[in-house]
Amino acid sequence: MEQRLANAWHMTVNEKKFIEAALLLGLRNDGRNLYDYRKLTIKFGREDGSSEVQLGQTRVMGFATCKLVQPYRDRPNEGTISIFTEFSPMADPSFESGRPGESAVELGRVIDRGLRESRAVDVESLCVLAGRFIWAVRIDLHILDNGGNLVDAANIAALAALSTFRRPECSLGGEDNQEVIVHPPEAREPLPLTLHHLPIAVTFAFLSEESIVILDPTHLEEAVMGGRMTATLNTNGSICSIQKAGGDGIPQSVIMQCIRIAASKAADISSKIKDVVEAYNNERSLRKIKRHHVGVAAKQ
Amino acid sequence: MEIDRTDGRSPNQLRPLACSRGILHRSHGSASWSQGDTRVIAAVYGPKAGTKKNENPERACLEVIWKPKTGQSGKEEKEYETILKRTLQSICILTINPNTTTSIIIQVVHDDGSLLPCAVNAACVALVDAGIPLKHLAVSICCCLATCGHVILDPTKLEEEKMKAFAYLVFPNSINSILPEGSSHTKSKQLEDGLVTSVTHGGMSVEDYFHCLDRGRAATARLSDFLRKNLQPQVLGEGSKAG
Repeated sequence: MEQRLANAWHMTVNEKKFIEAALLLGLRNDGRNLYDYRKLTIKFGREDGSSEVQLGQTRVMGFATCKLVQPYRDRPNEGTISIFTEFSPMADPSFESGRPGESAVELGRVIDRGLRESRAVDVESLCVLAGRFIWAVRIDLHILDNGGNLVDAANIAALAALSTFRRPECSLGGEDNQEVIVHPPEAREPLPLTLHHLPIAVTFAFLSEESIVILDPTHLEEAVMGGRMTATLNTNGSICSIQKAGGDGIPQSVIMQCIRIAASKAADISSKIKDVVEAYNNERSLRKIKRHHVGVAAKQ
Repeated sequence: MEIDRTDGRSPNQLRPLACSRGILHRSHGSASWSQGDTRVIAAVYGPKAGTKKNENPERACLEVIWKPKTGQSGKEEKEYETILKRTLQSICILTINPNTTTSIIIQVVHDDGSLLPCAVNAACVALVDAGIPLKHLAVSICCCLATCGHVILDPTKLEEEKMKAFAYLVFPNSINSILPEGSSHTKSKQLEDGLVTSVTHGGMSVEDYFHCLDRGRAATARLSDFLRKNLQPQVLGEGSKAG
């Protein structure tokens, strides 16, 4: 225990005081305004369904994969989406490997509620044969660098991975039409998922006494904040989930103001995601034409 | 008789290498290393106070954590962790910071063959980035033995699956001595003949194995040049800052 305390990262009292005092003057230690978002970059990996999101210094990787499984008894014609988050010890010196900690579970649950329980993904289209085979989509979120506000970054990574993910096409065959044939990606073009809307998580931090609200806190600001609220909204302006787990009490008017800000930020972020996904899809189709060309040349 | 490779490389040709350092902000040292489509990120934290149970507190202790791309880490990952830990132990100077632990975290971004060599190279760069004292660098390569007896280097996942046998080899990097030639000749000669780690999969004859070793060692010269070129600019920059 002693060693763990020695290795854990702690902020000094002076650092905390400095950040608090600056915030009271409306200044943030990275030069942003109170309601500014950090720079967001979204990149995609070599294969479909992998994303890498950088939000300021926070870095998260998302991978979507799928496999055929038997559905749950009570939902025979629905596919499943599951989200796995783990705080890799790579991200922060205080994260330890092994069982996911409390905050890792909370992060996973917030994203899960925003994404799955708001029915953003059409799970019925993931059904292959009712009661027998469905696609189970698994999203792995790896936190690589903890620069604060992991929820938003992980949520964007999950959305980006899902929007570029493609599942193999399959059809029914065999004697009684009860066997599933999975077509390899070379034979038949894999299918993208149907996303009804993009639920975007936007996180606010509250500073204790003076009812100061800041958007997108860094890990330094997270260390001094008194409470935090994550609102998940989509572009239609409807609320998918709100998470405020304890912390300082916040007046209702502040919450309403936060949701208004969140709605405009959610619109910005979702248009950004749509842009990069479109760019990726264009590049992907170009890449395929090239690959086809090479294949023909090699045969001759 | 030349063996055809799907990507049109010659048997000795490596895939394009890319390496960047200091990509993560919170970790003490980090690196991303890619060989073709295989990409690995390594981060280093340490030296942290205290050693784990069953480790010798009179020496610095290393801890390797391997994170697979998806899913839980199983036996294979545990094996990689052990191999990597022993490899890195042999290149670190363990007597400098006794009773400390240095954690090396490996995150697989994409596996397209030669994963372990890629991780060894990434870990090595990350250790340098974190300023952990090292005796020398390690460079790693994967050699594949085709059924017809040919050796190919740096295989992709597809090639790895098709091959009769393959070996992951780790060599100490070739030394560029700054001492006058005569005085250090004997020592550097000794090191260049060394082999740090060898992990083989599949059966092969003794001659084939030695053939693999020769080819691997020849290729590591190129790898260590690349490594050195990547590590040098910052070393010079730091020197000028300190001065």
